[in-house]
Amino acid sequence: MTAWRQAGLNYINYSNIAARILRRTLKPEARVEAAKRDESHIRFTPWTNGKPTRKDAVESA
Amino acid sequence: MMQRAATSILPTAGNMLASAQQQRGMATLKTISMRLKSVKNIQKITQSMKMVSAAKYARAERELKQARPYGEGSKQFYEKAEVVAPEKTEETKKLYIAMSSDRGLCGAIHSGICRHIRADLAADSSIKVICVGDKSRAILQRLYAKNILMVASEVGRLAPQFLDASKLANEVMNLEYEFTDGKIMYNRFKSVVSYSISDLPVFSLKSVESAPKLAVYDSLDSDVIQNYLEFSLASMLFFAMKEGACAEQSSRMTAMDNASKNAGEMIDKLTLTFNRTRQAVITRELIEIISGAAALS
Repeated sequence: MTAWRQAGLNYINYSNIAARILRRTLKPEARVEAAKRDESHIRFTPWTNGKPTRKDAVESA
Repeated sequence: MMQRAATSILPTAGNMLASAQQQRGMATLKTISMRLKSVKNIQKITQSMKMVSAAKYARAERELKQARPYGEGSKQFYEKAEVVAPEKTEETKKLYIAMSSDRGLCGAIHSGICRHIRADLAADSSIKVICVGDKSRAILQRLYAKNILMVASEVGRLAPQFLDASKLANEVMNLEYEFTDGKIMYNRFKSVVSYSISDLPVFSLKSVESAPKLAVYDSLDSDVIQNYLEFSLASMLFFAMKEGACAEQSSRMTAMDNASKNAGEMIDKLTLTFNRTRQAVITRELIEIISGAAALS
């Protein structure tokens, strides 16, 4: 059991944190390009019984 | 109605017919020119959309080349270790991930994926679905809303990043629904003009650990397998997103090209009818003038 898993992280969290830190340590000229890979806009809406559970996220069309 | 009936008494029947015809002729001329203008505008829009998607496609293809090893590698592992899905019983829980996007106007990209999933859902209604992108949600929610577990939106506006995929993988793993195996349905990009619907397998930790040929891999303990499984889920999702995005852009490019071509054909036809009608109107007016002059002399 690794320390990060004991802390409740999984491998994806762990490696993403590592990647973010690595991107921050890059040289300025490379950092701008790398920072673009560090953003994501994806949003999630859980559905139960054929309806979105959070109303505000997805309109019930 | 009353007013029209009252006025129709005054002029003679012949006069009425002529004025109605003339009015109709003028009206068609105007409607044709309006129609022509709107079709021309549509063509401009489709042409510029094609340009935009061509630029996006070039970038998507470049990025896809770099993303391919992620997916291929993970797939290889499952093939080499001969991981198989557990036999279908009461307890098997299947999970499908539909890779589409929020954006339309790209041919049969989204509907193809949804058609495949629908066919499987019709056979086995216990399968649960995660819709990535609003388009697949819109299609699947009509008949199979109860099978949808989660919807991921804001996909497809920007090129997919690994962070998107890892967030999605995180959500998939944190589901209350504990799936035994699953599939990622995506459009595999072949060339600018062709793509095909493919799937990537997703397995649970248990079925990987019981894989018959796992011994070909050295020094595996359950920790390593779990780590790898988590990573491979994210990387396969990433790969499928990239493939899907690339196929989508290329398909949008062809769709918009066809739309511009069709609009061009329509413009040609409309211009022809427009000119013909104009000629007819001119001719009729000339006849009227000449016959009027002849009647006077």
